Amino acid sequence: MDGHSILVVEDNPDDQVLTVRALKSASENSPVIVLEDGQEALDFLFGNHARHPCKDLDSLGVVLLDVKLPRVSGLEVLKSIRSSPLTNWLPVVMVTSSDEPADLLEAYRLGANSFITKPINYREFTEQMKLLARYWLVVNKVPKAGAVRSY
Amino acid sequence: MIGRWRYWRLKTKLLFLTLFTSALGIALVCASLIFVENQNYRRQLESELHVIAGILAEQSAAALVFEDNEQLNSIISSLDRIETIQQACVYNQQGNVMTSLAGMDKRECPVVNQQMEVGFVDEVYRLLMPVTLDNEVVGQLFLTSHLEVLRGHIRTFVFVATGIGAVILVALVFLALRLQRIVSEPILKLSKTAERIAQDHDYSIRAPVSGTDELGRLGNTFNDMIGTIQQQNRRILESHDSLERIVDARTSELSMANRELEAFSYSVSHDLRQPLRAVEGFGQALEEDCGDQLNEAGKDYLRRIRAASVRMAGLIDGLLVLSRVSRQPIENQTVDLTQLLQEITDELEDISDDVPSEVHIQQGIRVIGDSRMLRVAFQNLLANAWKYSAREEKRIIDISARKEGRWIAIEVRDNGVGFDMRYIDKLFVAFNRLHTPSEFGGTGIGLATVYRVVRRHHGEISATSKVGEGASFVVKLPVSGDQG
Repeated sequence: MDGHSILVVEDNPDDQVLTVRALKSASENSPVIVLEDGQEALDFLFGNHARHPCKDLDSLGVVLLDVKLPRVSGLEVLKSIRSSPLTNWLPVVMVTSSDEPADLLEAYRLGANSFITKPINYREFTEQMKLLARYWLVVNKVPKAGAVRSY
Repeated sequence: MIGRWRYWRLKTKLLFLTLFTSALGIALVCASLIFVENQNYRRQLESELHVIAGILAEQSAAALVFEDNEQLNSIISSLDRIETIQQACVYNQQGNVMTSLAGMDKRECPVVNQQMEVGFVDEVYRLLMPVTLDNEVVGQLFLTSHLEVLRGHIRTFVFVATGIGAVILVALVFLALRLQRIVSEPILKLSKTAERIAQDHDYSIRAPVSGTDELGRLGNTFNDMIGTIQQQNRRILESHDSLERIVDARTSELSMANRELEAFSYSVSHDLRQPLRAVEGFGQALEEDCGDQLNEAGKDYLRRIRAASVRMAGLIDGLLVLSRVSRQPIENQTVDLTQLLQEITDELEDISDDVPSEVHIQQGIRVIGDSRMLRVAFQNLLANAWKYSAREEKRIIDISARKEGRWIAIEVRDNGVGFDMRYIDKLFVAFNRLHTPSEFGGTGIGLATVYRVVRRHHGEISATSKVGEGASFVVKLPVSGDQG
C-alpha cells in the first residue's frame, strides 16, 4: 500500500468504528479520515474545514460516501464532487445499508465509481473493505497532483 | 296527395286548409244564390205570362162567343210586341184552333186535351188558360214562352257570382298568407328553438312565448321542460365536479400516503438495518478481539446474538420486498419464464452444497407480466422447494406449464417434506409458518410475497401437498396479461 488515504463520510458512530476497524484490518498503512456529514465532506474537499484542513487532495485514494447523510445527502456531495474540476477525478464509492434500486440508479447517473451495500454479516463487510482497499488503493491509478492542478 | 300531406310544410298546410274551405264556402254560396235566383226568375216569368194570358182571355171571350176571327187576330197580334212569347193559340169550346200568333201555322198548335203538359216543359214554358164569360168556359188560350231571357239572366248572374267569388278568393289568399303567421309563427319559432337546443346542447335558450292560448301554453311548457333539463344538467355537472374534486383529493391523499409509505420503507430499510449491523459487527469484533476472555457459554451467547440479528435482517429484507411488490407499478412484457427459472436455479445451486439436485424445467414457457416481480415470486417459490427438499437423498424439482383456457398454469413440484393440508389457509399469509425454526428456517414472508405478485398479475395460486410426499404449487397467470 502506497500511503494514499481513504476518506470515509459516515454519520453513524457505530458504523464509523466498524468501518475504520474493517479498513485497518485490510490496509494498516493507509490513513483513514472520518467525516460525519455531507456538509463536512464538502468543507473538507473544498478547503474550508477547520478540523481537517485538506493540504493535499491528491493524497486521497478513494472516498467512501454513505448515501444517507444528515443535512447534505451523499448523492448531493457526489454531485458537487463531479461538478468541480478540482475534485471530479476522485474515485467515489457509494455505500448504503439498503438496496434501494432508485439510489443505485441515481448514484451511477451522478457519476459514482462503485456502489456497495453494507451486509449485515460483519465478516462479509470486512471482506468487502479488503477488496475495496486493495482495488482502489493498489490496483487503481489516479492522476498525479500536477496534472490536476494544471487542469 | 294525402300521402304527401305529411311532408308539406306547416305554412302550406295552413294556407291550403284556409283556401280550400273558403273556396268551398264561396262555391256553395254562389250555387245556392244561383239556384234561388233561377227559381225567382221562373216564378216571375210564370206570373207575368199568367197576367198576360188573363188579360188576353178576358179580351178574347166576347170575340170567341161571336166567333169574330178578325177581332181575335187583332187581340193575338198584340202579343207580337212581347219577345218571349213563342206560340199563342186560341181554341173554341170544341177545341178547334180559332186563331194563332202571326207567322205561325195553325197546325203547329197542339191538340188540347186532358193529358196536355203545361208549365216548364223542355226548353219552353207552356200555359193553357180557359177563356170564360160569365163563369162559363167558352174556349181555351194556349201560350208558350221561350226561356232565352231567363237563361241570359242566369248566365249573367253565374258570371258575376263567379267573378265576385274569384275576387274574394284572391283577397283571401293575401289575407290567409298574413293570418297563417299568427298560428304558424309561434310553432315555427318553437321548432327552431328546439332544433338549436338539440344542436348546440345549450339549455339556456328559451322559446319566445306570446299569448295564453294553447300555443302560448305549449311554449311555456316547453320552456319549463328545458329549464328542468338545464337545472338537472347543472346538478349533474355539479355532482360530477364534486366527485372529481373528491377523487382528486383521494388521489392526492393516496399518493401522499404512498410517498409516506415509500419514505417509511426507505427509512425502515436504512434505519432498522443499521443497529442490526452494529449488533452483528460489534459481536464479531468482540469475538475476534476479546474471544479469549469468554468461556464457551459466552461465545454461544455471542453467536446467538449475531444469528438473531442476521435473522431479523432477513425479516426486514423480506418485508421490504413484500412492500415493494405491493406498491410498484406493473410493467407488462413478454417474459421468458424458462430462462428466468434457469437463472434462479443456477443461483440456488451456486449457494447450496447440501444434497445433489435434479431440476427439470419445461422449455419455451412464456408469460406476460412484470419480469422483476415474477423473478421475486419464482425466487421465493423455488427457494421454498429447495429448502424443504434439503433432507431428501436427492432433491427433485419439476417445473412444467400448461394452457388452461385463458390461463397459463405453471406448476412447481418438489419431493420435499410437504405440509399438512389442514393448514392450507395459513400458507399464503405473512408471518404464518407451517414449520418450526428448528425444522426449517424462514421468515414467513416468502409465500405472502408470491401471493401478492400473482394477485397483482390478476392470477391465482394454489398448493397441494401430503406430509412427506412433496408439495406442488400452481401459479395461474392470464394469457393476455391484464384480464381479471
